[in-house]
Amino acid sequence: MDTLTCSIVERLTSPDAEVRRLAVIDLPYGDEDDIVPLLLPRLKDADATVRTEAVRALEGYEDAEVVEALAPMLLDADAAVRAAAGEVLSELKESASAAPLIPFLSGHTAEVRMLALRAVRALRVDAAFAPAMEALKDGDAAVRREAVGVLGYLRKAEAVGALAEIAARDPDPEVRRIAIGAIGYSSEVSVLPSLTRALTDVAWMVRDEAAQTLGKLRLALAVPDLIRAMQDEYWQVRVKAARSLGLLKAAAALPALVEALAHPIGNLRKEAAIALGELADPRAIPALEKALDDADPDVRKLSRLALTAISLAQK
Amino acid sequence: MKRIDMEFDLVVIGGGTGGPMAAVKAKEKNPKLRVLLIDKANVKRSGAISMGMDGLNNAVIPGHATPEQYVKEITIANDGIVDQEAVMAYAANSFDMINELDRWGVKFEKDETGDYAVRKVHHLGSYVLPMPEGHHMKKILYRQLKKARVEVTNRVVVTRVLTGESGEVVAVMGFDCRTADVYVIRTKAAVLSTGAAGRIGLPASGYLMGTYENPTNCGDGHAMAYHAGADLANLECFQINPLIKDYNGPACAYVTGPFGGFTANSKGERFIECDYWSGQMMMEFYFELEGGNGPVFLKLDHLAEETISEIEHILHTNERPSRGRFHEKRGNDYRKQMVEMHISEIGFCSGHSASGIHTDARGATSVPGLYAAGDCASVPHNYMLGAFVYGRLCGENAAAYCAEHGLGAVSAGDVAAEEARILAPLGRTDGLTPFQIEYKTRRLVNDYLQPPKITRKYEIALRRFDEIREDTSAMFAANPHELMRAMEAHSILDCAEMAARASLFRTESRWGLYHYFVDHPERDDENWFCHTLLSKGEDGRMQMRKKAIEPYIVPIDDEERSAYQRLRVARNAEAA
Amino acid sequence: MTIAATPTQVPVSVDNDKCIAEKGCTVCVDVCPLDVLAIDMLTKKAFMKFDECWYCLPCETDCPTGAVSVSIPYLLR
Repeated sequence: MDTLTCSIVERLTSPDAEVRRLAVIDLPYGDEDDIVPLLLPRLKDADATVRTEAVRALEGYEDAEVVEALAPMLLDADAAVRAAAGEVLSELKESASAAPLIPFLSGHTAEVRMLALRAVRALRVDAAFAPAMEALKDGDAAVRREAVGVLGYLRKAEAVGALAEIAARDPDPEVRRIAIGAIGYSSEVSVLPSLTRALTDVAWMVRDEAAQTLGKLRLALAVPDLIRAMQDEYWQVRVKAARSLGLLKAAAALPALVEALAHPIGNLRKEAAIALGELADPRAIPALEKALDDADPDVRKLSRLALTAISLAQK
Repeated sequence: MKRIDMEFDLVVIGGGTGGPMAAVKAKEKNPKLRVLLIDKANVKRSGAISMGMDGLNNAVIPGHATPEQYVKEITIANDGIVDQEAVMAYAANSFDMINELDRWGVKFEKDETGDYAVRKVHHLGSYVLPMPEGHHMKKILYRQLKKARVEVTNRVVVTRVLTGESGEVVAVMGFDCRTADVYVIRTKAAVLSTGAAGRIGLPASGYLMGTYENPTNCGDGHAMAYHAGADLANLECFQINPLIKDYNGPACAYVTGPFGGFTANSKGERFIECDYWSGQMMMEFYFELEGGNGPVFLKLDHLAEETISEIEHILHTNERPSRGRFHEKRGNDYRKQMVEMHISEIGFCSGHSASGIHTDARGATSVPGLYAAGDCASVPHNYMLGAFVYGRLCGENAAAYCAEHGLGAVSAGDVAAEEARILAPLGRTDGLTPFQIEYKTRRLVNDYLQPPKITRKYEIALRRFDEIREDTSAMFAANPHELMRAMEAHSILDCAEMAARASLFRTESRWGLYHYFVDHPERDDENWFCHTLLSKGEDGRMQMRKKAIEPYIVPIDDEERSAYQRLRVARNAEAA
Repeated sequence: MTIAATPTQVPVSVDNDKCIAEKGCTVCVDVCPLDVLAIDMLTKKAFMKFDECWYCLPCETDCPTGAVSVSIPYLLR
């Protein structure tokens, strides 16, 4: 068979694995309209590189038969095929696609559990809830991370307690950080203690996430803790705290924000100026007027804007 | 060389961003429509987003910004010269488009609960939505083309849109850049989505294809629209970009901004008052660069390691991934030193500024049956998402137009004339190379058209362009590939002349550096609060006219104007 | 008038041991926006035919065998 002249369908079953692989790569860009029936048999190809490309080429085709054929690829003997399957399955969009994935959420290897959890996250199906709650106890941090993600997307009140527990106690800082972000769907006051505790976490990324989430949830009771976070040793955390205090229009934050307006880090001065505009408290006027001569033009500009906001609020 | 005749209902020219969207949406509107998507490269990897995009910077998402707020900000950012209805058509459809792209598989950054992670970059609203894995963009678009059964033809350079007796679209013509086969495609309607005119000026490196825009985007669409009789709007509002010096890729202050990065002068100080990517910002950049405080740098070396790693991941995998390779060769490390920036050559690109083929809020040009979307069309500050939204509008409206119109009669004389024009360079055995014509045109653009604009310089440029136009009759191409470059050289020359004529017409200064006219340094709202339109006159030469600004649909009162204005300009300038 | 043939060092290089163009692969040629790559009819390998590179990298990232490498053109380095 002359590989340069024969059709793409013929090349898909060539005895040469490299030719088959090339045909799979070309298929989505060729003249064949209906590529799925041509690709499905290649998932069982003897050659792992052909299977990998076939998995990739099926991305975005969310028919039931495709999902049912792709899910078991998570158990493929070849690591590249498994990784490709995990990636492609994580692109699924419709809740109807979840059923074939549920059996992979528990048992198997940590890698399979992790990839399957990631795949069901955006599908937001109830059937994933119990396995995700169970996976919070997994020995593997990567699995716990994905389990937290599933619960964050599901936004169920029953998960808040478990997520708070993870946020407080998980040994892995990235898992704690994601848990803090994942709690960001609940405006129940009961989440307050875990979020404020996270403001004193040893890892700054966790504190950063907590300062941000408190603003997103508009939890007014957190104001005193956010004001304390304005003294964090990481200016990144202070920036997020200032942002959240502004969103909360926290009058009590005035002194802390005025102080931040004179901080050596320009980004913090900028955020403080924005927040003072949001507070719209005329007592900030002298500090903002002083900031009109700041060395940083961004701070000057945002101070001008804040002064306008305050004067508009007076009317 | 053969002649290939085809017949379609709708031909979409350019398969980058807006084009595939237009083709898919036309098919969705009417699955029976015969739609052809045609590209001089390969749709798989063509256009401005061939390697993806790192984020949206004009996402209008409920809870973070409103369409009205967006229209106001764009109106102010563009010094009032906008068709608000057209900007609103984008803003009102922005969120639906984001959701549709999300369903198609585009990965936008979300927080841990699945909400879009919109970032505020110190405008009044928040519009930045990062796409950490935006490099899959073209693959996703191609999949939709296949699902919608859109026919795709690659490596065919479209050179002209032919019109019928009442000036309506009747056909498009072009040639295969590998075989020189000439294509005559009868059609009821056409969408131009040919991107920016990014190859008018010469990059400082002197490397012809070292442009900011994908060099395929050389103004073919602008030239085709002009020759088809369409109006082009506000061409004097150039696009000029802040870039990484020599590399000519975007410095991406808008990507690094939310992380704490900024543009600094040689002392490491922030100097730009205007964050918004606008002529005002480029003016500040230009004066800092030329005024003794340069060079200008991108400063990230004050950021935390985790933040820099995240920035590197975004910048080095999307849009222009060779950036990392460039820095490595230069020994640049974001952690250790600032990275030198520079100012780009000029171009036309509505994505970042406001010039292009004039379109209304439906994507229609002034030629019946001709639509335009994306960087080549005139809707200001549209960026990638605007190309998608207007691609959709053009596709849907062109499909509706096709339902009411038949195929028009094509003049055999027009076809013969265009075929002769296309094939002429292949018929010669020696003469000037396309490279020589292109290089000289672009060098003169840098010498005479780069702002600050000066009347005397522009007059010299026009005379020299006329000379080059005569020289093009001696241009020869040794093969179909060179023929593509020869035809592109014609487009580049047309665009260079348009840039000069439009600039000389608007006798005021506006849009910061984009139209900084030294002989008319003041903004003159009394005479020039209007659009300018360029079109082909009866005599076959370029003619200019004014067009009144459409009545605002989102009024802006003085207090708001001053609040927005304060975001843009320095206190001293404001007082002045 | 005569036409000069001026040599230039091109930015895209192809490892012939890895290139499988002889098996029908044209991925790098297909994805180049400027159409500057081609398959040599004698060696049956891909090569850069025109020095008109935007260093955008699809030829390198999409090559199924990792045979293509792109360096920044000398004038920019």
